[in-house]
Amino acid sequence: MVTSLIDPTLKETLLPKGVNDFLPEKAGKIGYIEGKIRTVFELWGFRRIITPLLEFHDVISLGMGEDLKSKAFRFDDRQTGKLLAITSDITPQIARIVATRMHAYPLPHRISYQGRVLRHAELQSGRSREIYQSGVELIGLDSPEADAEMVAMAVEVLQGLGIDEFKIDIGQVDFFRGIMAASGLTEPEKRLLREAIGKKDVSAVSAVLDKTNVSAAARDEIAMLPRLFGGRKVLDKAASVVTNDRSRRALDNIAQVLDILDIYGVSDYLTIDLGEIRGLDYHTGITFEGFVNGVGEAVCSGGRYDDLTARYGFAAPATGFAFNVLTLLSALDKRPEVEASKTRDFLLFNLKDDRREVLGIAQNLRRKGFSTARDIIRRDYANSLAYAQRMNILYMMVIGGHYCTDDEVYIVRVADNKSIKVNKACLLSDDFCLNIDP
Amino acid sequence: MSDFITIAIPKGRILEESVELFSKIGIDCDELLSKSRKLIFENAAQKMRYMIVRATDVPTYVEYGAADLGIVGKDTLMEQEKDVYEPLDLKFGYCRMMVAEPAGLAKDDDPSRWTNIRIATKYPHVAEKYFAAKGVQIELIKLYGSIELAPLVGLSERIVDLVSTGETLKQNGLVEVETIAEITTRLIVNRASLKIKNKRISEIIAGLEKLV
Repeated sequence: MVTSLIDPTLKETLLPKGVNDFLPEKAGKIGYIEGKIRTVFELWGFRRIITPLLEFHDVISLGMGEDLKSKAFRFDDRQTGKLLAITSDITPQIARIVATRMHAYPLPHRISYQGRVLRHAELQSGRSREIYQSGVELIGLDSPEADAEMVAMAVEVLQGLGIDEFKIDIGQVDFFRGIMAASGLTEPEKRLLREAIGKKDVSAVSAVLDKTNVSAAARDEIAMLPRLFGGRKVLDKAASVVTNDRSRRALDNIAQVLDILDIYGVSDYLTIDLGEIRGLDYHTGITFEGFVNGVGEAVCSGGRYDDLTARYGFAAPATGFAFNVLTLLSALDKRPEVEASKTRDFLLFNLKDDRREVLGIAQNLRRKGFSTARDIIRRDYANSLAYAQRMNILYMMVIGGHYCTDDEVYIVRVADNKSIKVNKACLLSDDFCLNIDP
Repeated sequence: MSDFITIAIPKGRILEESVELFSKIGIDCDELLSKSRKLIFENAAQKMRYMIVRATDVPTYVEYGAADLGIVGKDTLMEQEKDVYEPLDLKFGYCRMMVAEPAGLAKDDDPSRWTNIRIATKYPHVAEKYFAAKGVQIELIKLYGSIELAPLVGLSERIVDLVSTGETLKQNGLVEVETIAEITTRLIVNRASLKIKNKRISEIIAGLEKLV
C-alpha cells in the first residue's frame, strides 16, 4: 500500500511564503558576494550609511511611486498610532536622510548601503518577498559622468565576481516621456500603450493606436518604441524619427553617457533599449539593468532620479543603483571561488587528556589567519573526520595518539584522506604554510 | 551550452505550425514532430534547443530563463501575466475568448443588467479582471476542461472560454454573448535573454516578423 508521506498533523509551515532561512553554506556565499560588492563601492570612494527598518508610512510614501507604496508592509505604531511601513526600497530613505540630515555637507554625496527590504509579491509567484540590496547613490551631480560612473561600477563588480557573460542594458525614461507628452493622447490611452510597449508587443501597440486619432508623425514615434533595442545604432534610428525636444535631449544625454563609458572601456558590455520603461516611478533620465547569462531576471538596476530629494525639501540631482544579491547568488552559486567561501580550514582533534596544548595550537593557527575550530566532543577519529566533511572543513589536525611522534601533529586533508606529519616547532614558526601534494 | 537558444513549445497544433514557421527562416526542427517521447531536442549545428512543455507552463519556463523563447497562446499570457516580452504576434491559432450561456437564457438576457453572476472557466484571472472592469460581481468556479458542461448541469449559469468555430458551443446548446479578447499565438522572450543574446534573438524575431 502506498501512503502519503505528508504528515497530516502538520497544518502550517514554519515560515511565511517568500522569506528564507539561510544556513551557513548559503549565508557564507551571500557574505562573500556582499563583501566583493562592498570592496568595489569603497574603492570608488563611497561611504556606507545605515538606514532604519521602519519608517512612518506617510513620510516614506513621499518618495515612493504607487507601485512601491502598494508593495510595502504596513502596520500601526502602538506608540504614536501612526501607520508604519517596513522599507520596500532604500533609495527614498537615503533621499530623506540626505535632504533632512546631510544638507550641510558639501556635494556630491557618495553613499553606499547594504540592507534588506520587504515587498509584497503575488501569492503563487514563488518570488522572494525579502530582497537583499547592495547599492550606491551619487547625489548632487546632473553630469552624464555621474550616470556613467554608476554603470562602470556595476561592470566592475560583475567582472570582479568573475562573471564574463553579462550585459548592462541602458535606457532613458525621458525619451519615452517626451514622445508621450508630445502625442496629445489621453491618460487611459497612454496607460494601455505603456503596458504594450513594456512587453514590446508591436501588435498591441498598433491596435491601441488604431483606436486613437493621433497624428501620423506621433504614430511613427510610438510604433517604433517596442523595437528600439540593440546596439548603439538604435540611437541613430531613434534620432531619424523623433522630433520633440525632450526626446532629442534624452538621446543626446544617452550618447554623452555612452561616450564616457567608452573611455572606461566597457562598451562591449552595453546594450541600449529605448523602449524599456520599467524604471521605478521616481526615475527621470538614464536607467539601467544588469543581466547575466542564464539568470532570468536583472541582477542590478538603477538610474537617475533628479526630483526625489526635493520631495523632502532639498533639491539635488542624483543617480544610483543597487544589486539584488540573491539574484547574483543564483548566477554564481556553483563557482569554485564562491563554493570556497563556505569552507573552513582546520578542525582540531585532540587525543590527549590535557587540553593545554591543543588550545595553544588553535590560538596560533588563528593568529596566522587559519580558521580553526576545536571538536571538543569526545568521539573517535572516523566520526570526527565525518563531522569535518559535513561542515566543509578542509583539514583535520590530530594532536596526540599513535598517528605520529609526540613532537609532531598529524594533518589529514578531509577531501581525499591524504595526510602529512608536521613538526610542532615548524607549526609554530612564522613561515609555516600547509602543503599537501598534489 | 550557454550560447544555445532554447525554445519552449507546447504539444499539438501550435507545435506543427511552429515547426513549419521556423523551417521557413532556416531553423530546422522537424525532429520535434517525430513520435519520440523525448522532451528536449538539440540541434548542435544550429545551436538550438527545443523543449516540449505544457502550454500553461511555457510562460513560466521563459520568465525564469529556463527557456529563452516560448510559443504560446495569448489566452495563457492574459491569464498568467508573467513578466516576459511578447514581441511578435504569430497570427496562427486564432480564436476568441468569450462569455457564453445557454441559448434559453440568452433569449431574454441583457448583459448590461448583470450584477451577480456565476462563471465557470479555465481562466479565472481573466474573467475576474474583465467583469471587475465592467462592475459586475462574479462567483468563480475554476474548471480544468469540458467547460461547456457547466451550464448544462447547473454548475454555473455562464462560462468564459475559448471559441474557434463555435461548433462545441452549438452542440451543447450554448451561444456567445460577449467577446473578451481575440486570441492568437505569440512569440515570447525572456528579458535577460533578449539583452544577452540580442543578436541571434533579434534575427529570429525579424525573420519571423517578415513571414507573419
